[in-house]
Amino acid sequence: MIKVKNLYHSYSRDERYAVKDVSFEIEKGEIFGFLGPSGAGKSTTQGILSGLLRLQKGEVTVAGYNVKKISNKMFNQIGMSFEQSNVYNKLTARENLAFYRKLFDVETRDPDELLELVGLADKAKVKAGEFSKGMKHRLTFARSMINNPSIWFLDEPTTGLDPAIAATIKDIIWDQKKREVTTFLTTHNMFIADELCNRVAFIVDGEVRLIDSPRSLKLQYGSRFVDIEYIGGNGLVKESLSTVDDKDRARIKHIIDNNEIQTMHTKEATLEEIFIKVTGRGLI
Amino acid sequence: MLKKITAVFLRDLKVNTREMISIYILVVPVLFAIFINLLTPGINDTTVRLAMIDGDNPAQVEYLENFANVSLFKNAADVEERVGRRDNFIGILPEGDGYYIFKQGNEPEYLIDFTKLLKTLFETGASLGDSAAEIVEFGRETPPLKKMLVNISILFSSVLGGMMITLNVVEEKADNTISAMNVSPISRTGFILGKSLMGVTMPIYGSLAILLITGYGGVNVAQMLLLILSAAILSMMIGFIEGLNNDDMMTAAGSFKLVFMPLAGAIAAAEALSEKWQWVAWWVPYYWAYKGNDSVLSQSSTWGQILLYTGIILGMCGLVYLILAPRIRAGLEKG
Ligand SMILES: Nc1ncnc2c1ncn2[C@@H]1O[C@H](COP(=O)(O)OP(=O)(O)O)[C@@H](O)[C@H]1O
Ligand SMILES: [Mg+2]
Repeated sequence: MIKVKNLYHSYSRDERYAVKDVSFEIEKGEIFGFLGPSGAGKSTTQGILSGLLRLQKGEVTVAGYNVKKISNKMFNQIGMSFEQSNVYNKLTARENLAFYRKLFDVETRDPDELLELVGLADKAKVKAGEFSKGMKHRLTFARSMINNPSIWFLDEPTTGLDPAIAATIKDIIWDQKKREVTTFLTTHNMFIADELCNRVAFIVDGEVRLIDSPRSLKLQYGSRFVDIEYIGGNGLVKESLSTVDDKDRARIKHIIDNNEIQTMHTKEATLEEIFIKVTGRGLI
Repeated sequence: MLKKITAVFLRDLKVNTREMISIYILVVPVLFAIFINLLTPGINDTTVRLAMIDGDNPAQVEYLENFANVSLFKNAADVEERVGRRDNFIGILPEGDGYYIFKQGNEPEYLIDFTKLLKTLFETGASLGDSAAEIVEFGRETPPLKKMLVNISILFSSVLGGMMITLNVVEEKADNTISAMNVSPISRTGFILGKSLMGVTMPIYGSLAILLITGYGGVNVAQMLLLILSAAILSMMIGFIEGLNNDDMMTAAGSFKLVFMPLAGAIAAAEALSEKWQWVAWWVPYYWAYKGNDSVLSQSSTWGQILLYTGIILGMCGLVYLILAPRIRAGLEKG
C-alpha cells in the first residue's frame, strides 16, 4: 500500500536533511510503527507520505498514487491524525466533524458515532475552543476516521493522553486493524509500538537504523539481557547489559571482578532497551 | 465540487454569525442605510406634500394634485401650523392677487424648487400634456447628498466582504486547520472559491439592503451589482493577502487602510475635482464603480456605459490578480 524509496527531505533545502535516505514498504492491513526520539524525522516522513509536505527527493507511492503529483481524490482513502490537534475552536465537536465529512466524495461515518467512540459523546455540543488539550486531540483523532480510510496516518496518537484514554485509542487502532486498514503510526512510546505494530522502524537523526517485527527483535535480543545491581563507588548501581554484545560482556566481567554483586538475573529485553542497544540513543 | 465549496462558505457564515466583530460587519450596511434615512428625512418620497386652504381656488388644487400630495385646511393659520411641524410640508397661501409659498426653513431646497415650478406651471396655464414629462423628471431627480451617501455606503459594503475573508483566513491560521484541508479531497481552488463566496455575497446583500432601505429599490439593480461585484474582486484578493500575512484580526483590519484610502480618494476626486482633473483618479477601480453607481442611482445609466466601466474595473482587477494570485496560493501551500 505504501512504498518509499530513498526519501530525503531538507527544510532548508540544503544538505541538512531532516530525513535521509529512508526506504520501506508497508503491506495492506499492516500497522507500521515509526519509532524514534523527538526530532528524529517521524513527522516529516509522515508529512511527505500524506502529501502535506512537498516531495523533494526520492520515490513515494501511496495507495497506488505517486505522491509527486498528488490527486485530490487520493485523500478519499486517507485519514490523518495530527500530532498537534487542529480543529475549529469556534465550532462544536459535532459541527467540526459534520463540516469535515462534506469535503469527501466517499461514504462517511456519522459524527455522533465517532464522538461516542472516542468518549466525547457528551461533549458533542460544546465548542472545541472549550476543550482540554487531550479532548481536542481525541477530536482530531476521531476526524481522521470519518471517511473510513484504507490508509491511516497517526502521528503520536497517544502522546499526552491519560492512560485510560490512551488505552481506548489503542483499542480503536486494534479494531481498525481488523478491518484491514493500513496504518502508519509514529510514536516515541515503545509500549504502544510493541503492542500494536506488525513491524517497527527505528529512526534516529533522519535515518532508519533497523526495520523488523517486535517479535523477531525480541527473539534476537531475547533473554540475553542481564540486570545487575552492585555496590559501586557511590552506593548501589543498576545496569542492564547484553550477554551477546562483546563490549557488554567485558563490562559484566569487569563488574563481577571488581564489585560486590547484590542481585543479577536475565530477562527479556524491552523494545526500548533494544532501541537503545541498536541506536545508542534513548527515546526522549 | 460545488457541494464542497458551499460547505466551506456555510461554515464561514456560521462562525461569522457567532463572533461580535463579524456580526458587527454584517449589520454595517443596514446601519448605514438607517443612518442615511435619518440624516435625510422625507427624501424617500419624492412627491411634495402641500398644505392649502379648503375651498380657495379649487382649480389650482385640482391641477396640483396631479403632481403633489395636497392636504386641505380650514384657514391660513391651520396651514401655517401644519407647515410648522417637523416634517416637510410646504404651504401655498393666497396673498393679494397671487399666491406665495410658505415654508418652515428645514425643507430641502429641491422641494421648494419643485413647489415653485408647480405653482408657475399652473399660473402660466401650462396644460398637463405639455408639462407632465418635465415635471415628473424633475420630481424624480434625487437629492445629490443622499445619492452620494448611498453610493459611498454601497462601495464600502463591498469592501466589507474582503474584511470578512480576512477574518476567516486568520481563523483558519489560528486553528491550524489549513493542514486538515490539505489532507482532504477539496482542491486548493475549491477551498479558495469557498472562502471567496463571502466576498461576493456580502456586497450583494449589502447593496440590496442599502438600496431597499433608502428607497432606491427601483434602480437598475443588475447594472449596480455588475459594477459592485467587479470592484469587490479587488477587496477579496486583498482580504486573502491580509489574512495570510497577519496573525490577528486587529492588525489585519488596520491594513485595510490600503483599500479605504484609494476608495475615499476616488470618491473625493469624482465629487470635487473639475472635469479637467478627473483623470487623476482613473487608475482606481473604485472611481469607475462610483461613477457607474452614480448613473445607476440617477437612473441615467446605459448598458453601454456600465459595461465599459465594468470592463475597466475588471481589467484593473485582472492586473492585481496576476500579482496577488500566486501569493495567495503559496500562502495556502504545503511547506
Ligand atoms: N517546519 C519545519 N521547519 C524547519 N525544520 C523543521 C520543521 N519541522 C521539523 N523540523 C526539523 O526537522 C527535524 C525532524 O522533525 P520532525 O519530523 O518533526 O521530528 P519528530 O516527528 O520525529 O519528532 C527536527 O530537527 C526538526 O527541528
Ligand atoms: Mg513528530
